[in-house]
Amino acid sequence: MAAQMAATKVPEVRDITRIERIGAHSHIRGLGLDDALEPRQVSQGMVGQLASRRAAGLILEMIKDGHIAGRAVLIAGQPGTGKTAIAMGIAQSLGQDTPFTAIAGSEIFSLEMSKTEALSQAFRKAIGVRIKEETEIIEGEVVEIQIDRPATGTGAKVGKLTLKTTEMETIYDLGSKMIESLSKERVQAGDVITIDKATGKITKLGRSFTRARDYDAMGAQTQFVQCPEGELQKRKEVVHTVSLHEIDVINSRTQGFLALFSGDTGEIKSEVREQINAKVSEWREEGKAEIIPGVLFIDEVHMLDIECFSFLNRALESDLSPVLIMATNRGITRIRGTNYQSPHGIPIDMLDRLLIIATSPYTEKETRQILKIRCEEEDVELSEEAHTVLTRIGLETSLRYAIQLISTAGLVCRKRRGTEVQVEDIKRVYSLFLDESRSSQYMKEYQDSFLFNETQGTQMETS
Amino acid sequence: MFHVVVVSWSLGQSQSGDSNPQSEYIMDDESQHILKYLTEIEVAAEDVLSDKQQMVDLDVKRHRNREALSALRDVSQQSEGKVKVCFGNMFIKLPKATTKNMIQKDQEQLDREISDLRKRLKAKVNHLNDLQGKPELTGYNLSPLTSDEIKAIHSLLKR
Repeated sequence: MAAQMAATKVPEVRDITRIERIGAHSHIRGLGLDDALEPRQVSQGMVGQLASRRAAGLILEMIKDGHIAGRAVLIAGQPGTGKTAIAMGIAQSLGQDTPFTAIAGSEIFSLEMSKTEALSQAFRKAIGVRIKEETEIIEGEVVEIQIDRPATGTGAKVGKLTLKTTEMETIYDLGSKMIESLSKERVQAGDVITIDKATGKITKLGRSFTRARDYDAMGAQTQFVQCPEGELQKRKEVVHTVSLHEIDVINSRTQGFLALFSGDTGEIKSEVREQINAKVSEWREEGKAEIIPGVLFIDEVHMLDIECFSFLNRALESDLSPVLIMATNRGITRIRGTNYQSPHGIPIDMLDRLLIIATSPYTEKETRQILKIRCEEEDVELSEEAHTVLTRIGLETSLRYAIQLISTAGLVCRKRRGTEVQVEDIKRVYSLFLDESRSSQYMKEYQDSFLFNETQGTQMETS
Repeated sequence: MFHVVVVSWSLGQSQSGDSNPQSEYIMDDESQHILKYLTEIEVAAEDVLSDKQQMVDLDVKRHRNREALSALRDVSQQSEGKVKVCFGNMFIKLPKATTKNMIQKDQEQLDREISDLRKRLKAKVNHLNDLQGKPELTGYNLSPLTSDEIKAIHSLLKR
C-alpha cells in the first residue's frame, strides 16, 4: 500500500496492446510450465514435447536472469513437430521488456543489403538498452487564471495562476511567454495541468472531477481526472527500453530521423555502430544504462550459407550479443555455399557451440489435442466423429494439412447452414484439397501430360 | 502476504487447542514471529509515509517562500527601504535586501533537504518492497540521462 503511495517515484512502464490475426501459432501463450519448470501435458496452447519444453524452460530462466548472453540454441526436429511453437512460447513468456526478434533464414538475402549487414541489424534489434528520463514537473489543478491586459492594448501582459493539489495551493506570477502558452493550450480553471520545469512546456491532463458539473455540454474527448495528490513540484522518472538498432538508425547520419518510419534503413556504417557501442558502455559504467540481452530467433537456419555461419561465430563472441535461437528441420545435408555435408546443414564448428533441443513427432493423443486447440482458436465446432477422422488424417498425412482442413471444413459447414462440422464436411474438403502425398502421387501418374516433364527427375535439392 | 498470515494464524490456533504445554510454546513462538514480521513491515511503511508527508510540508514552505520573493520583487518597484516581515506572531521591519537574502538562503536549504529526502525515500521504498516479497522495480537504480542525451534520442522515446 505504502509503495503505491510513493507512486510518483515509481518508473512508468509503457504498455502496448497487441492485435494479432489468427496465425499458425496464435494459440501459443507460453511454454506451459509450472513454477518448478515441470511441463504440463496441455497448457498455454502447448501439447506434448515435454522434454524439449522443459529444456526451453531452463534456457528461458537463464535468459531472464541475464546469465547467458552470446550463447546459441538449436531446436531441431522433423517438420510439424512444434519447433516454431516452442520459439513462440519462449517469446511469449519473456514478457515485453525483453527484446525478441524473429527472422527467417532466407530473409537476409537481399539486393539492398549485404548478408552480414542484415544479420548485424537483426543482432542489434535483439539487444535492449534500458535508460531513465527524469523531469522536474509542477502538477496541479488550476484554481484560477487571471490575466491583466495593459489598458493601451499593447505591451507585456502579466497575470497570476493559482494551482492546487489535495494538500496545498500556491500562486504563480506569469510572464508574457507563459501566458501565451497557457492560452495556446486553452487552459481554464478546473483543468489539471503539468508544467515541465526545465522547458516550461504545458500539458493538459484533463478536467478535475470536482468541476465536472460546471458545464452540461461536454465534448466526448473531455477526460476527467482526480485532483493530484501530494506536493506541487514533483520529480517524475520514466524508464525506457530501446534497442541498439534503433539508436544506430537515429545516429546514422546519411539517413536521418525519418529512416525509422520508412522501414528502409539501408546499411549502417560500422563507425556509427562503434560510436554507439562506446557511448552505451560509457553509460553503463556511469550507471545510466542497463543492457538487456534479448533473443534473436532464426527460423529455417539451414538457409544460411557458410559466410553467415562464420559471421555468427564471430558475432557471438562480442560482449554485446543476444541469445541466439535457431530452428531447422533438416537432417544431414549440404552446407549452403559449400560441397560439404554436415548435420542440420550447419558447420561442425558452429554446431559445437550450440545447445541442441530435439523435438519428436506427436502421438495420436497429442495430435487430437492440438486439433482441438486449433478448433477453439479458429472458432470452429467439431463433432466427435469428425474430430476422430481429422486426427487420423493428421497422423497419416501431416498435422499442418489437418489444421488447414479445420477452417475450410468450417466454411463448408457454414455454407450448408450447419452448426457443427460433420464427417461429410471433412470428406468434402479432403476430396477438394490434395495433401502432399496425394499430390505427388497424381504427378507421378500424369507426369507425361505436364509441360517440361523430366522422366526420372532428381529429388529436390534444398541445400 | 495477507494470505500467509491467515494460514499461519489458524495453524497456531489449532495447536493452542492442545493442552500440551510444548505445543503452546510453539504457537507462541510462531505468532511472535508473525507479529515481529508485521511490525517490521508496518514500521517500514510508516517510515515511507512520514517521509512523503514531510516532502509535502517542505514543498508548501518552498512555495510560500517563492510567493514571498515575488511579492518582494513587486514591492521593490515602489523602492521603499524596508518591509514588514512576519515572524511567528510578530511583525518586524527589515531592510529589503536582508529579507531577500534570508529567504533565498532558506530556499536553498529547502531544495537540499527535499532532494535528500527523495534519495533516502528510494532506498526505503526498496526496503519495503523487499519485506513484502515484491520484485524490485525495473530500472529503479539507474541514474538519469542528462537532458542533452535525452534530447538526442527524443524521437525514440516519444513513440
